[in-house]
Amino acid sequence: MAAMLAGKAVAAPLPSALPPYSAAYEPRTVDERGLWMQVDEAEKQLRASNLLIADPTLGAHVRRVLCRTVGEDRCGSVRLYLLELPGFNAAMMPNGAMLVHSGLLLRTRSEAELGAVLGHEFAHFELRHSLAGFARARSATDAIAWISVLGAASGANVGASVQLLAGAFFTFSRALEKQADLLGLQYLRASPYPAGAASEVWAHLLQEQAATALERKYKPNRGRAAGFFDSHPAPADRADYLRAAAGDDPGDAAVAGHRDGMAMVRLPLLMAQVKTGDFGGTAYLIDALAAQSGWTAELLFARAELYRQRGNPRDLATAAQLYADAIRAGPAPPEAHRGLGLALLRSGDAAGGRVALAEYLRLKPDAGDARLIASLVPEDKP
Amino acid sequence: MLRKLVAVAGVSLALASAVFAQEKTGTRPGFSLEAGSAIIVLVRPEISVGEQSTGGLFEPNADWTAQAREQIAAALQARQGALGNTVQPHDEGAGGDAGVAVQYARLFGSLAQSVMEYQFFPGNRLSTKKRRNSFDWSLGADIKKTFGNTGANYALFVYTHDEYGSAGRKMLQAAGLIASAFGVPVGVTSGVHHGYAGLVDLATGDLVWLNADLAMGGDVRTPEGASRRVQQLLEGFPGRSAPGAAGGVGR
Repeated sequence: MAAMLAGKAVAAPLPSALPPYSAAYEPRTVDERGLWMQVDEAEKQLRASNLLIADPTLGAHVRRVLCRTVGEDRCGSVRLYLLELPGFNAAMMPNGAMLVHSGLLLRTRSEAELGAVLGHEFAHFELRHSLAGFARARSATDAIAWISVLGAASGANVGASVQLLAGAFFTFSRALEKQADLLGLQYLRASPYPAGAASEVWAHLLQEQAATALERKYKPNRGRAAGFFDSHPAPADRADYLRAAAGDDPGDAAVAGHRDGMAMVRLPLLMAQVKTGDFGGTAYLIDALAAQSGWTAELLFARAELYRQRGNPRDLATAAQLYADAIRAGPAPPEAHRGLGLALLRSGDAAGGRVALAEYLRLKPDAGDARLIASLVPEDKP
Repeated sequence: MLRKLVAVAGVSLALASAVFAQEKTGTRPGFSLEAGSAIIVLVRPEISVGEQSTGGLFEPNADWTAQAREQIAAALQARQGALGNTVQPHDEGAGGDAGVAVQYARLFGSLAQSVMEYQFFPGNRLSTKKRRNSFDWSLGADIKKTFGNTGANYALFVYTHDEYGSAGRKMLQAAGLIASAFGVPVGVTSGVHHGYAGLVDLATGDLVWLNADLAMGGDVRTPEGASRRVQQLLEGFPGRSAPGAAGGVGR
């Protein structure tokens, strides 16, 4: 029933069951074989990328979530590449290589949410969307080329026609995204995860964007309508149609499973997020994590780093408190003592700052910045 | 964005200059390859062959690329053999360092682009590259760790990119020509044929020779064409019987 209602609301009707899947797909047409050749080369280069996260436990965690979402028969051929990029993104190459940005791992709050995005990307692969997108781009640029030449020859103003064609191209791209969203939802329905997680992802992204906008003092984009050049539907739109199409699908979102799977990499990913310089968005993300796990030393430390980075006098005072809280909550990373020391030094508490920095050097004598920090701590006079 | 789409469509209103003033070959001053002595490791060539759509998009073609890969490798082997040099293809992954080899290929690509942009094109030459007889570019001495372990003295990098104009592109070009004949300047080019090749001294990492051409001939899908293409790619290769005056940048 829910599927029928959704089918009316959205362009592509939902199939009642997952389409049959054939493994070991080989490209068929000239276009498709050419496309695969290109991305095979790109994948070889990707294997040499220094952005790859080598952590095997994280790789196993993401693969497990993918397999639980799309099913064992589908996930087997996927090559997963986890990239240390703090943005919210993931991508699928037409040959079955999946790229997952670390920012996505940090933002998804459960295995179900991560699975929703991975399923969406896998749907692009199953539906061969790269090929369709390429064919569409070719026909659009073909037509634009003819109109430009003939327009120039006849002296006519062709701007409006070109705009129309370009608009149709982006509309097509958004339709593909919606199709992938809906097939992704089908995977979730067939999986142990609740289908409602898909819409949560977009709702949370909107909240994060609003937090960024608020801190930067600009008007938040309500994200209701897609812009002319948008390749994806607007997040609020996605949240709405995904919520409507998900219907009632109970399941365990596996919040703890995702938290444990991320344990080894959460701190470096948080540090990368802090360095994006997005105070509002980062504070929102840290708060969201704390709402799930409570204020751990790790989260207190990340929040302290965020305040110290913004660096107003009041921020430094807040940061010093948070570092102290993190050290008290324990076990805090040695860098908490460094942060405490630097925050105190800059706040004018030289003695307290030096004590904290000396503690950092004691805990981590071979740190990369050990000599730099040591220069701030004068040698004890005998 | 709209402008970008039109640019992808590949239609430029009467712009075709610049390219002609470029130099094509550079050799490091004082470098000469002693005849018949060199062992040259051939880094996996970057080859892509396809069609150019009416709108100017590259449509990669797997079969053509595979043919070109085979033909160019054979032609390179034959040509270097005639010079008395030994060419051995780099065995990817044998040393477990396929990743580093790929990164060196990318680094060479950037270096070659820089040479083309900042040295071969006189109007754009960097101050440090303006000295007479200067050709000072390097990939760093560490390169021998990756490519020198089989006793090779030099690494040869080869890149070709071919887009053959589709029937539609040729018709568009004809329409552009007709429009131009009636006094409306519409420039539509059909086909793209780029290529460059470079030799790196594995002892120092220095780029000792580079040859680049933005309008190459020879249909790389056939043995004869590939042989002609390799001849063009290796134009000015230091091992030739008459290497000319050592050093400097020549045409």
